[in-house]
Amino acid sequence: MKTISAIVLALLVLSIPVHAGDDDFKSVVKMIEQFYRVKHQGIPFLAKAGMKVGTTAAKIRGGEAKRIAEAGSIKLAVFEDQAFNGDFTKFRASLNGALNDTWMPLIQTLSGKGGEQNYIYLRNAGDKYNVLVITIEEREATVVQVTVSGKNLALLLKDPEGTGKSITEEATINDQE
Amino acid sequence: MKALSRIKLTMPLMLLIALPFVVKAQDPRLQLSSLDHLAGKANETVDVNIDERLMKMAAKLFSDKDADEREVKKLIEGLKGVYVKSFEFDSEGQYTAADVETIRSQLRRPGWTRMVNVMSKKDGNCEVYLLFNGDQIGGLAVLVAEDKELTVVNIVGPVDLDKLAQLEGQLGVPELGIEKTKKNNEK
Repeated sequence: MKTISAIVLALLVLSIPVHAGDDDFKSVVKMIEQFYRVKHQGIPFLAKAGMKVGTTAAKIRGGEAKRIAEAGSIKLAVFEDQAFNGDFTKFRASLNGALNDTWMPLIQTLSGKGGEQNYIYLRNAGDKYNVLVITIEEREATVVQVTVSGKNLALLLKDPEGTGKSITEEATINDQE
Repeated sequence: MKALSRIKLTMPLMLLIALPFVVKAQDPRLQLSSLDHLAGKANETVDVNIDERLMKMAAKLFSDKDADEREVKKLIEGLKGVYVKSFEFDSEGQYTAADVETIRSQLRRPGWTRMVNVMSKKDGNCEVYLLFNGDQIGGLAVLVAEDKELTVVNIVGPVDLDKLAQLEGQLGVPELGIEKTKKNNEK
């Protein structure tokens, strides 16, 4: 009887539609929190602190500066003034293990000196593309997920490092500067 | 007994039929993961993975209208992947001959030919290899082993040295300063 129940339960679980990768952004944020024992700051906190992340969406909708992300497509998590101590090769292995099934790793750069890590992953999102950019430095980290058009993905492929940095800068731009 | 002699007769024929399926073209994609452990010792590590899916995507994305993009599109046409692993170290002796051997051993397989008429403007030892599948180029590999740097570039698909030179600084391919020397001999 137990076996039958287990099979029925397994079948039920399997029949639930799973949107692979839908929560990868949250998973990555959680992974950073658990691995480095840090906490990300919410946008209201950052806005109070002077970092006007809230204005990002408005900036992306228009303006003179070059925009990469599609309007309203930014998911952002920022970790500020916390220590990111840990073996980055282990972190990198966990990250790749968690994302490589649903995302395509494009470029990963690691800097031993400042402990800086940059990861860019891509995936299809209908006729557009999702780009996940993870930047971890000695005292801060950023996780940005944006949707980009084909044209802007072309920019990213042409210059992965430069465009990846632009995506993070665009998401965390400080209006007060 | 009759059955045995029939088998003996048909066996060579079967082998001849099967041979083309057994002798596969050499895989132009190098396995670079053996170098991953160097990331822990390196001062700078760059790991680029543009696989066939991304290449196909990229080919569609670059516009024919924009001169720059048209150029890149032409360059990547037919390419099936660009893979780069590059490590820069603070001091010498951070990677071993065995690390390099994991790559060189793959480049000694049939089809790979080292181009000796190629050098890099950068210092150090730069080896360029092409993979020939018949008279077609199936891939390219560049191995740069300097005292404080180890870089492997692997381009999968029809690529020649001129194309490589044009790809430098694009699609994550580092500036290698590759150029042909006047000697025109291959090993």
